[in-house]
Amino acid sequence: MTVIDILTRVDSICKKYDKYDVDKQREANISGDDAFARLYGAFETQIETALEKAELVTKEKNRAAAVAMNAEIRRTKARLSEEVPKLQRLAVKRVKGLTTEELAARNDLVLALPARIEAIPDGTAGGPKNTSGWTPSSTTSRPDIKFDSDGRFDDDYFQESHESSQFRQEYEMRKIKQEQGLDMISEGLDALKNMASDMNEELDRQVPLMDEIDTKVDRATSDLKNTNVRLKDTVNQLRSSRNFCIDIVLLCIVLGIAAYLYNVLK
Amino acid sequence: MSSDPDKMMSKADKMTKLTLTRWSADWRGATELYEQAANGFRASNKYEKAKVALEKASKGQEMQASPWDAAKHMESAAALAQKLSIWNEVADFYRKASELYVECGRAQPASDALGKAARALEDVKPDDAIQLYTDACEILEEDGRDQMAFDLYRACANVYIKLEKFTDAATFFLRLGVAADKCDATNSQCKAYLSAIILYLYAHDLQQAEKCYNDCSQIDAFLKSDQCRSASRLLTAYNEGDIEEIKKVASSSTVSNLDHMIIKLARKLPTGDVTAIQMNTNDDLDEDDLT
Repeated sequence: MTVIDILTRVDSICKKYDKYDVDKQREANISGDDAFARLYGAFETQIETALEKAELVTKEKNRAAAVAMNAEIRRTKARLSEEVPKLQRLAVKRVKGLTTEELAARNDLVLALPARIEAIPDGTAGGPKNTSGWTPSSTTSRPDIKFDSDGRFDDDYFQESHESSQFRQEYEMRKIKQEQGLDMISEGLDALKNMASDMNEELDRQVPLMDEIDTKVDRATSDLKNTNVRLKDTVNQLRSSRNFCIDIVLLCIVLGIAAYLYNVLK
Repeated sequence: MSSDPDKMMSKADKMTKLTLTRWSADWRGATELYEQAANGFRASNKYEKAKVALEKASKGQEMQASPWDAAKHMESAAALAQKLSIWNEVADFYRKASELYVECGRAQPASDALGKAARALEDVKPDDAIQLYTDACEILEEDGRDQMAFDLYRACANVYIKLEKFTDAATFFLRLGVAADKCDATNSQCKAYLSAIILYLYAHDLQQAEKCYNDCSQIDAFLKSDQCRSASRLLTAYNEGDIEEIKKVASSSTVSNLDHMIIKLARKLPTGDVTAIQMNTNDDLDEDDLT
């Protein structure tokens, strides 16, 4: 083995077991007394995790999962932005063992922090906002919707084009024709309504007349029935066999008396 | 029985005259003869004689206590008198017939008889005609048959319009409204009220028209009707002097459903009055002009 190989191996082994190196840790944590350094360190780690997550999101196929991760990134960003003022206050404080250059450097670091936080991609970052006009801010997330105007909504855009004014004219004309047709229909309906109510009144007028006719005809029918029955009785009586027998018997008696008289007188 | 009507007449007359030999008149035989004679005369177009025969026949029936037949004969006599243009006889006969019908207890034919009389006299003696129409309406109303009276009221109002007595005509339309109210004939009622308002406007009487409109608006049925809306449009148009609006309302379908005489008046409406309206609006301007 060459010396270089040995050195590399030793380096990798040391790095692997760095965390067990108490002295080195203490050195790294020598800034533990320094609140600023501590907080700044926390910030850095959080920003780094957020960036890693953002990278994962771009690789993520499942949209729901991607959305969830974006939301978490946004939450982290919001939390960090809230804590930036605290860090700023700490940055100004003097700590022992700190040079003036380092103090100035800390200030700069804090000032740079908000920009770094914003820069973390979370799926809603749009281009720089224009003060005039609108920007189609959602084109980045929905690339399939296309705007004809490409975001240029200036005066010309709302001007009537030749086609649209023609269309409007046609619409007006058709509306007028429709109104005319409706007017005619309404006139016809009015006439119908009038006729119908006149018919209604006429029928109402005739109802009591019909009732009268009804009564009179009923009376006539019952009279007729009565008369018929009596007539039948009378005719039956006239033709009854009893009357015939009586007639025949009386006739015989008369003939007998006549014969007797004839005999006597002869 | 001889077929010569004259002979029948003289025979019948003899039968009815009381003489020493005849103590009571034989009305039945006489009536028959009279009727036959009348038919004979009518067939030979001797209307005067037929009329006389019918009169006598009717008298005979009356004596026989059959007012129905008597009334019928009277009506025929009146029709003949109409043909002969003897107008006062027409009126008399129809009145007699109507009385006889009332005796029978039949109001409808009674009023019909008077109506026929009025129609016959419309052109010749309009005042009598109006009187006859009014009597006819009264008969019907007494009997509770208001609905039949509508036509009579309308005819009467038409006569008044022909005489150019517009306020009287309007009064009759209002009476029509009352009759219609009694039988719940709302359409006729509303039309009657609208006609009355139009008549008042035609008579240049805006205040009266507005009063009429206010009175009629008290009635629910009128208030909710198309006719009420047309009336209010007409009155506002009058108040504003808007001739176009008046013409529009007058040619609308609501007005076109009224009687034809009223339609004619409505079409003429604004032309009677333009200057008056203008004066009205000018007055308003003067009042409002405070400068």
